[in-house]
Amino acid sequence: MVSKRFVLKRLLLLVPVLFGVATLVFAILHLSPGDPARVIAGQRATDAQVAAVRADLGLDDPLWVQYGRYLVDIVTLNLGESYIIQRGTPILTILRARLPVTLELAIYGQVIGILLGIPFGIISAVKQDTLTDHLTRVGALTGISMPIYWTGPLVILLFAQFLNVLPASNRIASQFDPPVYTGLITVDTFVFGLQSGEFAAFVSAASHMLLPAAVIGVYGMALISRMMRSSMLEVIRQDYMRTARAKGQGAKITVMKHGFQNALIPVITVIGIQFGTLLGGAVLTETVFGIGGIGTMLVQAIEVGDYPVVQGTVLVFAFLFTLVNLGVDLTYSYLDPRIDQ
Amino acid sequence: MSRDIDRRAFLKAAGGAAAAATLAGCAADPDETGTGTEGSGTTEAGGDGTEATESGTESEGEGSTLTYARGNDSGTLDPQNTTSGEDVKVTNQVYDQLIMFEPGQTTLREGLATEWNLEGTTVTLTLREGVTFHNGDDFTADDFIATFNRFTNPDYEYYPGDSYVSAYGPFTLGNWIDSVSKDGDYSLTIELNQKYAPFLRNLAMFASSVLSQQAIQELGQELAQNPVGTGPFQFENWDTSNQRIRLSANGDYWGEAPQVDEVVFSAVGSNTTRAQTLDSGGADIIDGIGAQASKIVQDSSNAELVQQAGINVGYMAFNMAKVEAFRETKVRQAISHAIDTQALVENIFKGIAEQASQPIPSNVFGFNDDLSPYEQNLERAQTLLDEAGYGDGFSFELATFKNPRTYNPSPLQAAQLVKSNLAEIGIEVSINQQSFNPFLDYTSAGNHDACFLGWMTDNADPDNFFYALLHPQVADGELTEGQDWVSFDAEGFNTLNVAAWANRDYMTLVEEAQTTYDQTVREEKYKQAAKIAHDEAPWVFMDHAKELRGVANRVSGFVLAPISGPFLNLVSLN
Repeated sequence: MVSKRFVLKRLLLLVPVLFGVATLVFAILHLSPGDPARVIAGQRATDAQVAAVRADLGLDDPLWVQYGRYLVDIVTLNLGESYIIQRGTPILTILRARLPVTLELAIYGQVIGILLGIPFGIISAVKQDTLTDHLTRVGALTGISMPIYWTGPLVILLFAQFLNVLPASNRIASQFDPPVYTGLITVDTFVFGLQSGEFAAFVSAASHMLLPAAVIGVYGMALISRMMRSSMLEVIRQDYMRTARAKGQGAKITVMKHGFQNALIPVITVIGIQFGTLLGGAVLTETVFGIGGIGTMLVQAIEVGDYPVVQGTVLVFAFLFTLVNLGVDLTYSYLDPRIDQ
Repeated sequence: MSRDIDRRAFLKAAGGAAAAATLAGCAADPDETGTGTEGSGTTEAGGDGTEATESGTESEGEGSTLTYARGNDSGTLDPQNTTSGEDVKVTNQVYDQLIMFEPGQTTLREGLATEWNLEGTTVTLTLREGVTFHNGDDFTADDFIATFNRFTNPDYEYYPGDSYVSAYGPFTLGNWIDSVSKDGDYSLTIELNQKYAPFLRNLAMFASSVLSQQAIQELGQELAQNPVGTGPFQFENWDTSNQRIRLSANGDYWGEAPQVDEVVFSAVGSNTTRAQTLDSGGADIIDGIGAQASKIVQDSSNAELVQQAGINVGYMAFNMAKVEAFRETKVRQAISHAIDTQALVENIFKGIAEQASQPIPSNVFGFNDDLSPYEQNLERAQTLLDEAGYGDGFSFELATFKNPRTYNPSPLQAAQLVKSNLAEIGIEVSINQQSFNPFLDYTSAGNHDACFLGWMTDNADPDNFFYALLHPQVADGELTEGQDWVSFDAEGFNTLNVAAWANRDYMTLVEEAQTTYDQTVREEKYKQAAKIAHDEAPWVFMDHAKELRGVANRVSGFVLAPISGPFLNLVSLN
């Protein structure tokens, strides 16, 4: 079983990881060209005005002073305020609004990927080298070979423009202004629907979610089914599987009862790691589908030199990624109690 | 077990590589991102559910919500807090100015002032009575005085700080105004520090939007999230997780009241997706349309492409302060003759821009009809180079920004064209590409040999091009006799003049025009100045970009405005 000590140790490890990330981000931002003061002041500003903005933001202090101030701020959980992206708004407020957007997209994408990928992987393994196997594998290979910036516009063209059955962009139609509880728009509109008996907003939110989630899902499906297949093939050849079959147990039960759970361990690894990647990879999906999660925000913030936004977002990314990995490790020992933490 | 760990490490690395590849793929496609400099943002909406519940879900309201889709969400809702056109689209709905632009024109009309007079250095204005701000406060002369102080006076109690107020404070008002005083609640007197012909137009700029004194005192910097104006629409909420700003009709508007119940500004980053959203009915009006997106709109059966000449200019400036060869007029003329600006606007900018012959486009007064763009003529170019003593060629670095801007929708391809054109007359060009904001620092410090740059008008006045971009604005003592350029280090040098050009005849004409109130005389001076600029060629005059909008068929009354706007109060939905 998982020991408390293990979890505690892993959580403590977060401290050096976050410190390293914070330092790295700070260094990269401050060493690369570009001056947020110039962006804020604009093309019409004189050099004196740019200098005044720089002084006002403390950007003319020596780097080590800025770095020290930054570390103190982090320790006191003060991530600062946005310079440009959302002027004057605390980073924590920004992330609270934006993070659920990306998270929701990643969750739905992952769910679609798992629901399709695992069965495909199993079928493919069980029917190894048959036509079904080949078709599934070609399907998976195609899925993984099509980049999101290509599939995205393709499905928009087909479903939004040509068939006109699904919306092309955003998260909900303009006329709906649903209340915010969790920030996950499908959940919020559903709760609102339960309260008011009016589900139009939920239907709108769900239909907006479908295309981007499917695009992410197909990509995930490909990876998961390939991993599931190879892992399953390995397990099927194990002695205990032969024993089970020799005992006269039915093929289906053998595969599902003895094989599936054991084959799942490497797949969980892939899913966990992919989820972390999804948080970052959502950038493309968000850009193509006009969704304003933290992915698109981070890219914009880097472009304009909104230091506090970049620093805060990357820290939170690192934090989440580490947590997901911890979650994956904990799942191992649940699936296979022999794996002692 | 150990095998699993190995696999895991491998996959982790693979995942990281994939993430990097995705980011790179995104950054490498400039056509897919909006052209604005400002990013999208967020506000407290994420945590506050109670207020939003009020408006709830309107399933029937389909016909009365106008959706305006653009490339980026706003960064602020305070007109004194921004230099970005993206932000101004929204503030123009919420705020009015004392004097305003006629929709779709460059002429002035009544705003919060009903009469005005500019004589010598004194401006007197009679204010409109019976106008209320969205917070219920009455509009009076005190509101404009507070607005002015907040923007330009660091000693004012409610001055929001140097990094909060934008450079438009001094640029539009502060640099020209000595004092503002009132005579009763509805009469204002503004004393200028010199005769300044464009001043009334400055009062019509977004930066001169009138704020409520009460709101200034109560809200301070919160005005960036919670605007209070007198405009046709009032602020409802800013849903940053959906990149949407919702405004509702101001039924008490003093001017032409809105015909839709609400306006939603939404952001769709990809130009193509934005056009597809319009085509499939998800938006009513879109802007930020590139060549590819304009084709989608043109082909759409649900929408049409509306276009008009814009008030802007794109150019390549020669840095005379740095490159000796550029100090020869014949070299600059030779390069102007070598670059095929016709191919540039037709093939590279895909017809969404037209060739330029002078600093201003034809829809600004003072445009000189007698001038035509430099035609590509390599023989003539070579002869000019020979005459200047540079017949064997030379080399220089062309600095350019990477991302598309309105006046230069494909900067890198344009730079390639310049490079290959000039190679034909023996001039070797190396291209230095940068993001826009380090680029601006680079050029304003005079580090470039030559650079691409451009300008979007502020007030549709020729002074805003001629004086702002090609006049050095230094004291006479800084100029050297017999030399038509000036060092970037000169005291008070206008760093927007990236050519470092200081032609005395031109400067005199532009200075006189700035202080001449007789429109006919003024116009003539600009025509002469345009001729000098054309002949002396401190820039390669490249293009004037068109304004493009996609408008859904169900929209009527939309006026494409070359300045100010969008005028969404005139729009109705069928």
